[in-house]
Amino acid sequence: MKKMIWLTTIFVLFLVLVVPGVLAVTLDMIPAGDQPGYNSNQRLSIYGERIVSQKFISKEKNLTAIGTSIRNPNLKNKKEIILNLYDESNKLIRTSTLNGQNFQDGDFVKFIFQPTTDSINRTYSFTISSPLAGPEETIEVFYFDTPTENILEYTYDEKSYPGGLPIVTFHKPDSKFQVVRKIYSNLFSRLL
Amino acid sequence: MKKVLFWAIALRLLVAGLIFHPDIKTYNFQSSFLKHGVFNIYTYLVDNKKSLTLKDDFVYFPLTYFAVGGYQWAISPIIGAGFDSWLADASSTSVVSSPNIFKYLIILKLPYLILDILIAFLLMKFFKDREEGKKAFALWLFNPFTIYLIYAFSNIDIFAVLLTLIAFLLLKKDLPAARLPAGQGRQGNLLQASALIGLAAGFKLYPILFIPFMVLKARGLKEKVLVVMVPLLILTAIVLPFWSQAFIQSALVSGLTTRIFNPGFSIGFNESMIVSLLAISTLFFYAWLIDKKISPFNYWFILLLLIFSFSHFHIAWLLWIAPFAVILSVKKPKFSLPIFLLATLALMIPMLYQDRSMTISLFRVYSTWYDLIPTPFAVLEKFYDPYNLQSILHSIVAGGSLIIGFKLLGEGRRPRGSMARRGDSK
Repeated sequence: MKKMIWLTTIFVLFLVLVVPGVLAVTLDMIPAGDQPGYNSNQRLSIYGERIVSQKFISKEKNLTAIGTSIRNPNLKNKKEIILNLYDESNKLIRTSTLNGQNFQDGDFVKFIFQPTTDSINRTYSFTISSPLAGPEETIEVFYFDTPTENILEYTYDEKSYPGGLPIVTFHKPDSKFQVVRKIYSNLFSRLL
Repeated sequence: MKKVLFWAIALRLLVAGLIFHPDIKTYNFQSSFLKHGVFNIYTYLVDNKKSLTLKDDFVYFPLTYFAVGGYQWAISPIIGAGFDSWLADASSTSVVSSPNIFKYLIILKLPYLILDILIAFLLMKFFKDREEGKKAFALWLFNPFTIYLIYAFSNIDIFAVLLTLIAFLLLKKDLPAARLPAGQGRQGNLLQASALIGLAAGFKLYPILFIPFMVLKARGLKEKVLVVMVPLLILTAIVLPFWSQAFIQSALVSGLTTRIFNPGFSIGFNESMIVSLLAISTLFFYAWLIDKKISPFNYWFILLLLIFSFSHFHIAWLLWIAPFAVILSVKKPKFSLPIFLLATLALMIPMLYQDRSMTISLFRVYSTWYDLIPTPFAVLEKFYDPYNLQSILHSIVAGGSLIIGFKLLGEGRRPRGSMARRGDSK
């Protein structure tokens, strides 16, 4: 019976102390924050030459992905969906291409690219387009009207508006250990 | 014993406070309406779906609503003002980031802890030998399976499990009439047991599957009729006030009926053979026509093994068999290792479902960053078909379960002393 007591104790401690650490090691990017809330009735259509552009501030270094919710009604879009990332001088610095057939209607979609090391507190803009899609293959992104700390303004149909897409920026951590430490320190600070 | 109990509780509190399955919030949100005087939760949820933040149906039976809702009413003075708004919060992130999450999880899982410990004490009563009883007590408290099943998954089935266990304790004490004092019939315990089965079904429907086997145990037409009618009348009395389209849709046509009675293979002309029902039916007719001395324990254990072998079970269901597996492991230690192996494999199957809440999401209290981690299903998909691996594991579980079942039935039928005689001949 002592064996079972040991086995159970090891199992529980492994479950609550080790597994979260092992999971943390597998994270190769971490989000800068939560996705802002949005009204699901406010949407912008993207197809052909209709593109959306968004200006934002990266709050962390090593910007490596941008995620937002995208509708793909009836999963009709099976064409390329391209995110181009521009720096402050409007120079194209990264491109990430996905295919519409790879995500479901309403999925939170991440566009991943090579990390931009010095991204902290820098202003960027990106465009999302699906140039080969026709009007029947429209995808839609959500938007909100009030700018936040880092989501500044968006451009659609050549007009600029305050606010923008409910995006989350993702950043490559300096090390795996840093992620593990952050997760445990956050947990213990809430526990104590 | 006190030390063992203290350590067992400490381990349970760790899992209870840190591991979060979203179901606990959903059914506690729904049960919170009892405090506000809502009696029929099924129609209430359907009628108010538009205005509610969480729009799920209440998939459990009425006694679950009253047990969970009643407990919430009792703790409402101590749990704090923010609790109801936490329950109603539909945001998946703020819920797990709440500074009160640990307190809420522990308090909400406290009834399970009480029932869990109660089961440990009840298990001791299944053994005449004090040492065996202590073994069962310790094995229930110290095995990874039940802690994981009860506290990680906030397993509400524990109510039905406890009542079923008490029913079997009564059946165990159901002595042949000749051995009872005059005037005290054996009918008493069997009927009490069947009443408890009916009550357990008021929480979760599965115990009624055992009624046909209880009928076989009953003697005489009157007792047989009563054994069927008592649990069914109790269940009817529990269910009748809620009988509505909403109840049928959300609770009655639930996972149990759809999963256990899922068609297996076609036999032509739109008819299918339901494999788990075929297996249960075979077991019943075996008990009726072949077995001369029915052991309720063996049949209940085999019936549950058949359900897990031939249906797409929910991980929480594994708790149904857990106390009986402990009894069997202590009474017949040769089964303990095969049961341990089969339980491990059975636990692995749901972990391979495409459902995040079976694995990664359980750790969201630590960090919502884990949302970025793919499920074991998604990882495995890159190398191998996860459904195939599920099928492989399930087939092994079924194979092992069938052999355990055969062995139990064989031993049940063997005349007393035959094992010794076989041993002598070696």
